[in-house]
Amino acid sequence: MMRPHESAFAALVMEGVSKRFPGTLAVDNVSMEVRAGEIHALMGENGAGKSTLMKILAGAFNDYTGAIRVGGQEVRLESPMAAKRHGIGMVFQELSLARPISIAENLLAGRMPVTRWGMLDRRRMLDEARRCLELVGLDINPLKTVEEISQHEAQQVEIAKVLGNAPCILILDEPTSALSREEVHRLFAILRDLRRGGLAIVYISHHLPEVFEIADRVTVLRDGRKIATRDIADTTPQALVQMMVGQTIERFYSRRETAWGGSALRVEHLTRHGFFHDVSFEVRKGEILGLAGLSGAGRTELARSLCGLDPLDHGVVNVCGEEFAGDYPQAVAKGLVYLTEDRKVDGLFLRLSVEKNLLAALLPFHSKAGIYRSGRDIFVTRKYLEELEVVAASAETDAGTLSGGNQQKVLLGKWLATNPRVLILDEPTRGVDVKAKRKIHESLLAIANRGAAMVLISSDLPELAGLSDRVLVMRRGRLIGEMHKEDLSEEALLLAMNGHEAPAGRSP
Amino acid sequence: MIRRTRPISHIIEMAGIYVVALLLLIAGAFVSPDFPTAENFVNILSAVALLGIVSSGMAFVTFSGNMADLSVPAIMAFSGIIAVAALPLGLAPALVMGILAGVAIGAMNGLVVGKLNANPILWTLAVAFFMEGFMRFTWSNNQVYPDTAPGTPGAAFIEIFRMHAGPVPLVVVIMLALFAAGHLVMTRTRFGHESRLVGSSRAAARASGIRVSRVVFLNFVVAAFAAAIAGILITSMNKLGVFYLGQGYDFKAVTAVVIGGVMLSGGRGHIPGVFGGVLVIGLLANIMTFLGITAFRQNIVMGIVFIAVVGLQQYRLRAQGKDYA
Repeated sequence: MMRPHESAFAALVMEGVSKRFPGTLAVDNVSMEVRAGEIHALMGENGAGKSTLMKILAGAFNDYTGAIRVGGQEVRLESPMAAKRHGIGMVFQELSLARPISIAENLLAGRMPVTRWGMLDRRRMLDEARRCLELVGLDINPLKTVEEISQHEAQQVEIAKVLGNAPCILILDEPTSALSREEVHRLFAILRDLRRGGLAIVYISHHLPEVFEIADRVTVLRDGRKIATRDIADTTPQALVQMMVGQTIERFYSRRETAWGGSALRVEHLTRHGFFHDVSFEVRKGEILGLAGLSGAGRTELARSLCGLDPLDHGVVNVCGEEFAGDYPQAVAKGLVYLTEDRKVDGLFLRLSVEKNLLAALLPFHSKAGIYRSGRDIFVTRKYLEELEVVAASAETDAGTLSGGNQQKVLLGKWLATNPRVLILDEPTRGVDVKAKRKIHESLLAIANRGAAMVLISSDLPELAGLSDRVLVMRRGRLIGEMHKEDLSEEALLLAMNGHEAPAGRSP
Repeated sequence: MIRRTRPISHIIEMAGIYVVALLLLIAGAFVSPDFPTAENFVNILSAVALLGIVSSGMAFVTFSGNMADLSVPAIMAFSGIIAVAALPLGLAPALVMGILAGVAIGAMNGLVVGKLNANPILWTLAVAFFMEGFMRFTWSNNQVYPDTAPGTPGAAFIEIFRMHAGPVPLVVVIMLALFAAGHLVMTRTRFGHESRLVGSSRAAARASGIRVSRVVFLNFVVAAFAAAIAGILITSMNKLGVFYLGQGYDFKAVTAVVIGGVMLSGGRGHIPGVFGGVLVIGLLANIMTFLGITAFRQNIVMGIVFIAVVGLQQYRLRAQGKDYA
């Protein structure tokens, strides 16, 4: 018995596809094929050319070179319309739904059924919307607005919207980055169904376990070139990482000495109604405290309220022995800083230079009587660009043009430059390539060794287990357990986060 | 490895508006032999001085991502009226009160936009509308005249606009001084740097430990301060205060700011560019006057120039792949 993808014909063939941007060849002579009825993973570090390649397929460029065939027929994908017409459907990382309007209107945007008189045909709209939702097995009222549904339901709606155009190739870009474990499993069930229906699926991901769970084949890109295509059954995570990085990675996390100093951050009975309740913990100088939890457990909200970015209803925050009750600028002045969850929303100044970004948090530190002293600018910029190995054409490059990994390094550098005493990190390596991730981890360990305290919020369990000295588990706004370094493993964390089993160790 | 020198594109961007000004100068020379004379250049500068003063302040609002302060005309008129009304107290107190009156409106704008996150365009438009009604009601639609008998503060007041420093009118000196001060504030102060960050991304600025509402407050105060000075000068020029004196300065100032390379979306641009934008507007108007084009038709041209410049900026950003924010 042959496996489905072995018998299937090629739904999409690319031959010698290239795309040049001023200064770089982003996609360099890539050939690959995707078969009907397979899930084909596309992997590579940030900047490897995955996104550009997929944008070519989505019709974002009209100046690519090379041949693309869909269902055996040569096509030119010069516009998003052309891509859609040839049956290519793309689900982007950032959802493109309009939030205040109904699911039905979102699903049928651009192809609303109308009556003979040119009026909206509501019945047909609803029927068609339900048909689309059925494709992803989603049973919700299509008249609800997108605001009223959860993030993962919104993503399913997004997929339904693309499927509504009856594509023969479905491309998903990092579809799980904002989803919890359970939601990922639901998404995978949908994808398996679609595969059975003969759809060709391209699945872009950084997440190795996911790729091994869901994909049939995998293609690895590096520096714009295709390295290899492999059957998942014939490869290993180590082999894939090696193809992506191009060099062997011996160790991910280095050991560190474990001599903590005095209390750096102590919080007592922190409560913000509706978000988190009665949270107390302490972090000592040099310690990395992990915060585990599913998305929506209240970790980000806790962090933001703790440092004065969002309101706090009850509780006391104590930084290095001094009580702190102020706004965020005061927190920063005291050395309590928060690296935000989403670098594109409130992390980086995308249209300012790398240098301006690195210096952004230093303004109060480098100003006297309102006058900004720029004397140390060059020094600071050079120091953090070199220390974090930021790859940028120059310090004047716009931060928005950098790859995800380099953006995240710049964001970290902005806070390291303020020499913080307590650093709260919210998803410090989300959507970041392997090499940049390793560099960021090294930097974090180094500054912890120099005596900074850290609170690490992460959905990346190997990262959380590998970096933390201790992990607090948060669920539905409460701390439900504590795990020490010896007990930390991916499996133990997963169980604890889901509340299935009381984790080993005492509760806080 | 890290280059400190600004890329060529940066320098061209910086000089771009002055290249346009130079081209207009050359074009002007062909239009009329009276154009390239020292006298005409002083004329051009005088003609744009009030606009330049308003623009030097407006730039801060645009730069910080708040697009435009449309209450500028109201601030100008109000400052002038208050200054004239306060003249019996003496010239200096009158000027101070006039400026304070304008700054008070700016403070209110700054508070509402900065703290309460009101839409800057709609809020300042509402303020302009309200202030016009308020001034017409309070002064019963009348013009307010200073007492200009020789030796009175009123006589000194209407002289302000007519004073010269050598061959250069005082207004031109004030404009140049404000542009110089604005440039220093923008590049050398904490506030200037914070304005750039806020203009580039309000959310990221807040999450970088910047008091966004205070920065926005100050931006509107700066704009109102400059508008108040322009208002007092235009009142001095007209020898009377009245509610409609600032008319048209809102849009013209935004045009100058945008032509000068400050992005309407905030965060990009610089004060020397705005001065260049003001010069280009002045040269354009002057040349059109030499060509016998009437004021109303000049407005049509200005509107087209504005649309063209905004369109071009947007197009260029997209071409460079910089339209991500």
